[in-house]
Amino acid sequence: MYTATHTIWLRHMRKFFRNREELGGLIIQPILWVALFGIGMGRMLPGDGDYVSFMLPGILALTALGSATGGGMMFLDERLRGILREYQVAPIPRMSILLGHILATVSKSFFQIFIVLSVAFVAGARISGDIGNLAMSVVALILFAVGFASIALAVAMRSKSIMGYHGMIFLFNLPMLFASNALYPLENVPTWMRWLAMFNPATWYIEVARPAFAVHTPIMSSLIALTLLCAFVAWSIQIALSRFRAMTS
Amino acid sequence: MQPMIQARTLAKRFGEVVAVRNISVSVMPGSVYALLGPNGAGKSTTINMLTTLLKPDQGSITINGHDVERESDLVRRVIGVTFQDLVLDRDLTGREALDFAGRLYNIEASKRRARITDLVEMVGLGDAIDRMTGTYSGGMRRRLELARCLMMEPKVLFLDEPTQGLDPQHRALIWDYIRMLKTQQGMTVLLTTHGMDEAEALADVVGIIDHGKMMHEGTPSALIGQLGSDLIRLSGTFTHLHTPEWTSEQWVTSWQASETEIRIGVDIGARRITQVIEFVNQSGNTIEEVSITRPSLGDVFLQATGRALRDER
Ligand SMILES: Nc1ncnc2c1ncn2[C@@H]1O[C@H](COP(=O)(O)OP(=O)(O)OP(=O)(O)O)[C@@H](O)[C@H]1O
Ligand SMILES: [Mg+2]
Repeated sequence: MYTATHTIWLRHMRKFFRNREELGGLIIQPILWVALFGIGMGRMLPGDGDYVSFMLPGILALTALGSATGGGMMFLDERLRGILREYQVAPIPRMSILLGHILATVSKSFFQIFIVLSVAFVAGARISGDIGNLAMSVVALILFAVGFASIALAVAMRSKSIMGYHGMIFLFNLPMLFASNALYPLENVPTWMRWLAMFNPATWYIEVARPAFAVHTPIMSSLIALTLLCAFVAWSIQIALSRFRAMTS
Repeated sequence: MQPMIQARTLAKRFGEVVAVRNISVSVMPGSVYALLGPNGAGKSTTINMLTTLLKPDQGSITINGHDVERESDLVRRVIGVTFQDLVLDRDLTGREALDFAGRLYNIEASKRRARITDLVEMVGLGDAIDRMTGTYSGGMRRRLELARCLMMEPKVLFLDEPTQGLDPQHRALIWDYIRMLKTQQGMTVLLTTHGMDEAEALADVVGIIDHGKMMHEGTPSALIGQLGSDLIRLSGTFTHLHTPEWTSEQWVTSWQASETEIRIGVDIGARRITQVIEFVNQSGNTIEEVSITRPSLGDVFLQATGRALRDER
């Protein structure tokens, strides 16, 4: 199990660092996010807080979502071209094939996240929480990234085409961020939207992650949020795995 | 002796399309079985079911004595598979592709290196093995694919159209490898093809399939023998034709006639041809061409399905 997962992960990483185009895009993207969302949009928000720090967890979530989309895309491409079948006929657990892809996606995502953080700190973001907040924040980000990497894979397992995949992914990518407290505080939004946000993994992630970077008015206990995130990850991996098993029928 | 591959009454449909209906296949250890059929016959679908990639709607499969569905891991441990559409990763070198294949099967590093050296030698890829596979020609890719599925020393090989798109030299090369794997390593091979020459050259047993059905099965010589040792073909206009009485005589092994072509399987063509021509002429038909040939698997296919199996090369 471990060997197979490692092999699939390694293969993706080898291809990743060889692909200049993908690498370049992934390096420039986060810089744009920080500039546009953190600095640009931050100016439009009321109050006089430290916007880059406030926005940072949201930008990290956006980055993780972007990587998840890319990871699903990579899987779909392997599926449509038939590369996946090499794994499928090998005597390895189906879970290891899934985990290999998820870990590759999350690794790329953290490669980007590292760049986002560097740029953000240059742009003036600060860590205001203690070391505990920071650790929680990292854990939450990993859970969030793994969860959405799995969901993107689950979508990619059913899609008939690349267009279809993007159509599906788009449905929950940006709307999910906007229906959470990732990009703006929820104080001034209508009640129905606040309720929607309560059932949104992006909100759970922000609840745990934001205290490390900015003053945060919690809307639920961070322990509950963390538990919900864990449940979300377990559920999404389960969905991806059962869809993967069903691919043979 | 127990068959290495044993499939019973397989069936698979995709929505409205019935891709495979009631196909049974049995392959003895150390022999080569060729599934021969035209495009869309259900060859790839059958291979996918045999290699755990696709669940049959009906039927059962055992490989090396293990059930494909319930003991899929044990089955996967002994099979090597190449696919019809090549699955090479363009951003890896040939060596890396082989190395990753070896890793998937938990082969340790030193053994992988040795195995790669042997296989590169066998398929003659030479220095090209360190080039990106994206730069390979079709022939090189097929050879690398074959090497890849041999990395873990499988007992059973499944090759889906192993020579598709290859020039005659490369085809002969792949045939040599397959014969070598069979004779030197005792491998069991199931391959698909729509080249009857390929089936004739390689297979111990040929299964002819069309529209998902097994039409004929047997050794190439037995299948061809059913048609007689010679085949008389007449082309022309045969609108006033009835089946002659002598088709029931022993020297006639098959009779097939349409308005433009007549094919008769006989014992000795040169001796029977005058009688045949006389008969056809008498009934007021026009003969344009006459030939006597040894029947081929293509003729067996025509006999079974009523249409020609075009060799696409
Ligand atoms: N995934 C699928 N969904 C729908 N129909 C399919 C699918 N796979 C195969 N078919 C259909 O099943 C039939 C058999 O296809 P299959 O690929 O097994 O044929 P084949 O003998 O391998 O042909 P070829 O020589 O072209 O490779 C075809 O009619 C094909 O269109
Ligand atoms: Mg096919």
